[in-house]
Amino acid sequence: MVCRQCQELISEYIDGALELGEQVNIERHLADCEPCRAVRDDLLQIVHFSNQLPLRAPSTSLWPRIRSGVEELRPGFWGRPLRWWSNVTTLRFNLTVPQMIAGAAALVIIVSIGAIVSRRDNGPIELSAGNSRVPPSEITPLSRTDLQQLEKQINQLSETVEQRKNSWDPELRIAFERNLYYIDQSLVECRHQLDGNPADDVSQELMLNAYREKVRLLEGFEKF
Amino acid sequence: MAYITNTLIMPVTGERIEPASDLELARAAAAGDSVAFEKLYEQHHRRVYSLCLRMLGNGSQAEDLTQEVFLQVYKKIGSFRGDSAFTTWLHRLTVNQVLMHFRRRGVKLEHTSEEGDFTNVVETPLQSTRRISMVDKLALEKAISQLPPGYRTVFVLHDVEGYEHGEISDLLEVTIGTSKSQLHKARMRLRELLTKR
Repeated sequence: MVCRQCQELISEYIDGALELGEQVNIERHLADCEPCRAVRDDLLQIVHFSNQLPLRAPSTSLWPRIRSGVEELRPGFWGRPLRWWSNVTTLRFNLTVPQMIAGAAALVIIVSIGAIVSRRDNGPIELSAGNSRVPPSEITPLSRTDLQQLEKQINQLSETVEQRKNSWDPELRIAFERNLYYIDQSLVECRHQLDGNPADDVSQELMLNAYREKVRLLEGFEKF
Repeated sequence: MAYITNTLIMPVTGERIEPASDLELARAAAAGDSVAFEKLYEQHHRRVYSLCLRMLGNGSQAEDLTQEVFLQVYKKIGSFRGDSAFTTWLHRLTVNQVLMHFRRRGVKLEHTSEEGDFTNVVETPLQSTRRISMVDKLALEKAISQLPPGYRTVFVLHDVEGYEHGEISDLLEVTIGTSKSQLHKARMRLRELLTKR
């Protein structure tokens, strides 16, 4: 074998794609030919490092361009991100019976997105201490009394559940914590939305529903 | 927590919750969840951009193509059934977009006179002293961008992205022999470019 023949086959040789006979011939040639060994070693390096190239990031202006491109295709797509709904729907579960019971409670929140219940009887409410800077007049009136009752109920139920939690098996405890966590996250999301837009009656309703769901969850686990 | 991006640890129990899978995000995005779509972008845009960048050899064009890819993702996400991994689906979509871009621009991927056989393939003793000491990844990326499109496409698909010659042959509608030949010439050209540094 001469150098030209060897170097024509060198790529396939380093990829292990040659027949045994050709492979042996090349190896014999390489044993005696330093220039061809140099080519082999260089190509090996190129192949090796090509496989390890780091990922590159585009400029930060790309995402806004994509957003507006999608907006052109479907106006309103970015209107209202369903953040907390997405949190729930995109998590991976391995459901057991107690988890399913608890999961059902959390799912009611999802279902309740569409149900914008009108309960506006006793004037505006302050949704949380964290939102105290929001002028009450800017908040769509919801039932302050109902909310206060719910918070009171939640506090009482939480105390009972906290006492019982120590006797739960770990699976049940995890199911409870997980669902409580989702509901609390929903509340955080709602508060966040309301910080940006205090008059957002949808977020207020979602928040009210989340409170109610928290009550149902605590009531459900109070019995265990 | 706007979206769970990494493993979530429950505050009390310490339980770990796995992040949303691509399939779950894809389904949510197909159902109109803009946050899920954004999440898919966050998770995959660097890979898509890097592939475009390496196949095109141009950052600005790579961004334009990445934008096209994600608009295609938006349009086609409903057709993703999860039969293959989302990354595989997205990767194929990206490669197809780049190849369509080449075709629109009349870029020839097959053997051309510009990409003809090397006449000085054989090493002389002098050349053998000009070895690649250590491949610097930046220099390698730059050298890849300097390859002719036909070489670059086959090289990126095979050596960077791990495609087999059979797959490249199908994608580029060339013979397996052409794919092997282009790859070999790409590697030899890269070696030449890297020893000229």
